[in-house]
Amino acid sequence: MREAFSNALVRLALADPKVLLLTGDHGYALFDGFRKHCPDQYINAGIAEQNMVGMAAGLARMGFRPFVYGLAAFVPVRTVEQIKLDVAHDNLPVVLLGDGAGFVYSHLGTSHQSTEDIACTRAIPGLQVLSPADRFEMTACMYYAYKAKAPVYLRMGKSDRGDVHSGSIESLISGGLLKVRNGRADLPGLIATGSMVRTAIDLAKVLELSVWSAPILKPLLPADVCTAANETNSLVTIEEHSVLGGLGAAVAEVTSEKQPTRVLRLGVRDRFSEHCGTYDYLLREHGLDIDSIYERIMMFCNSTESSTAAVDPR
Amino acid sequence: MTTHVPSCASSIDNRFAPARMRRTVLEMAYAGSTVHIGCAFSIIELLTVLYRNHLRYPGNDPRAEGRDYLILSKGHGVMAQYACMHEMGWLNDSHIQGYFADGSDLKGLSDSRVPGLEVTSGSLGHGFSVGVGIAMGLQRKATDRKVYVIVGDGELNEGPIWEGTLVAAHHKIDNLMLIVDKNGFQAMGTTDDVLALGDLSAKFNSFGFETLEVDGHDEAAVDAAIRHLWTNGMGKPKALIAQTVKGKGVPFMESDNRWHYTRLNAQTFAEAIDALGLAEVAK
Repeated sequence: MREAFSNALVRLALADPKVLLLTGDHGYALFDGFRKHCPDQYINAGIAEQNMVGMAAGLARMGFRPFVYGLAAFVPVRTVEQIKLDVAHDNLPVVLLGDGAGFVYSHLGTSHQSTEDIACTRAIPGLQVLSPADRFEMTACMYYAYKAKAPVYLRMGKSDRGDVHSGSIESLISGGLLKVRNGRADLPGLIATGSMVRTAIDLAKVLELSVWSAPILKPLLPADVCTAANETNSLVTIEEHSVLGGLGAAVAEVTSEKQPTRVLRLGVRDRFSEHCGTYDYLLREHGLDIDSIYERIMMFCNSTESSTAAVDPR
Repeated sequence: MTTHVPSCASSIDNRFAPARMRRTVLEMAYAGSTVHIGCAFSIIELLTVLYRNHLRYPGNDPRAEGRDYLILSKGHGVMAQYACMHEMGWLNDSHIQGYFADGSDLKGLSDSRVPGLEVTSGSLGHGFSVGVGIAMGLQRKATDRKVYVIVGDGELNEGPIWEGTLVAAHHKIDNLMLIVDKNGFQAMGTTDDVLALGDLSAKFNSFGFETLEVDGHDEAAVDAAIRHLWTNGMGKPKALIAQTVKGKGVPFMESDNRWHYTRLNAQTFAEAIDALGLAEVAK
């Protein structure tokens, strides 16, 4: 997945000399290819993310196509105001690349983890939000972001969870959900994004559930969400992000208006990580490992009222 | 990159007369019953010199492709820039008299959607970074176009300013001039009392800027300083530390920070207009 990202970036930069890569002194080995093939289009802006995003806005106004790279904890979260005022307000074609989103930096603690970045960016007018699940979605998202010629946040989470598609995705339709598995109509349908799509597919094999991947979180096509709701008896959203303001919220916003449907939102329940450990350990701590998710879905299926709450009651 | 030094503008150019621009600011502030008069008055002469002698707007078009950039990072002084835009013919009298009317375009802080304004500022510490990016972009396009960024001295409290100075010096962005409106005040008091800035020239010099200090109300001195900076310090970004007076031009407003917040009434409006002594300036 990271190779797909790096390759797409190099190809875009070779094809368009206006493409610039700005990094906040991150991406040590990731950009070796870019620095080799496009050294003049590489700018290390230093450990100064706020200035970097403002500077990217200035470069975009001069006709350049900046891709701004940082850890998701910093780009976008640290720089939300620069994204809002300097980039989005002027609808500038800046692509914000937030790496290590979710719990990738599982041993490093809260400063390097980001489970609020989707919520922050979704609320900024005109800013599109992408969240690829595998190398095929990553490539498609990179080209989508380039062609958008508008502000885009591309969220890069855990990258080694394996493929969810069997081959390249020719084109991403704006806001489209991608169905990656057919399941039973009398059971919940799963809508997942990023790292959690792989988990959803693994679960679906056991439970015969339909699964959709959501590589584009904003705009989310209401018609696609309604289709998923129609084809199943309820919806479960899964994301390595807060249940507040992310994929689950976006799906529930649609269903509550267009197609009243029970929606179980699985994600981070308004809390910070308590401990450190492996990535798998941290998913367990947050109830996002496959066993915990299985249990939550079974409880949801067996209950008649919503079993999720914005604030973890425990 | 070649250094562009604009030819001296005609001395008979009667536009941008400071007293008349201050009158425009007062008319707007009175019409809109709004604040930030002091912040506008301290940059009047700086803007006069920039618009009259330095900024290039091909075809008098505020959005001209080949223009220089004036970025008002201290968006609070925007009424002074509106006054310049009025002198340029980009705003008409109804913009001035209709300031803050419901549904109008001219806001109380700089907004990039208004032709003639370059950034959305007022949240401080944004405009300089955008200016660094614009200047870097212009350098990459090998043009001789210039970028001027006006920041307040209070605004220098903001961290991104100092991030931007490092980047500008490191990348040798020498088509960029940072102009500090050093009026000595910020919202809650003097800069010395709130967060002392120390020796600004020494700071910018040590950051790798070609730096000059100037009396920000002496038009000839400001003009000479800008020319000096563009022709010296090849490869270095420029910093002009302009010593100014908040509220300059109306004695009862000068260095009185209440005019950051105070609205005009009929009496203070009339007194302020009188104080400008507009007799010698065509109205």
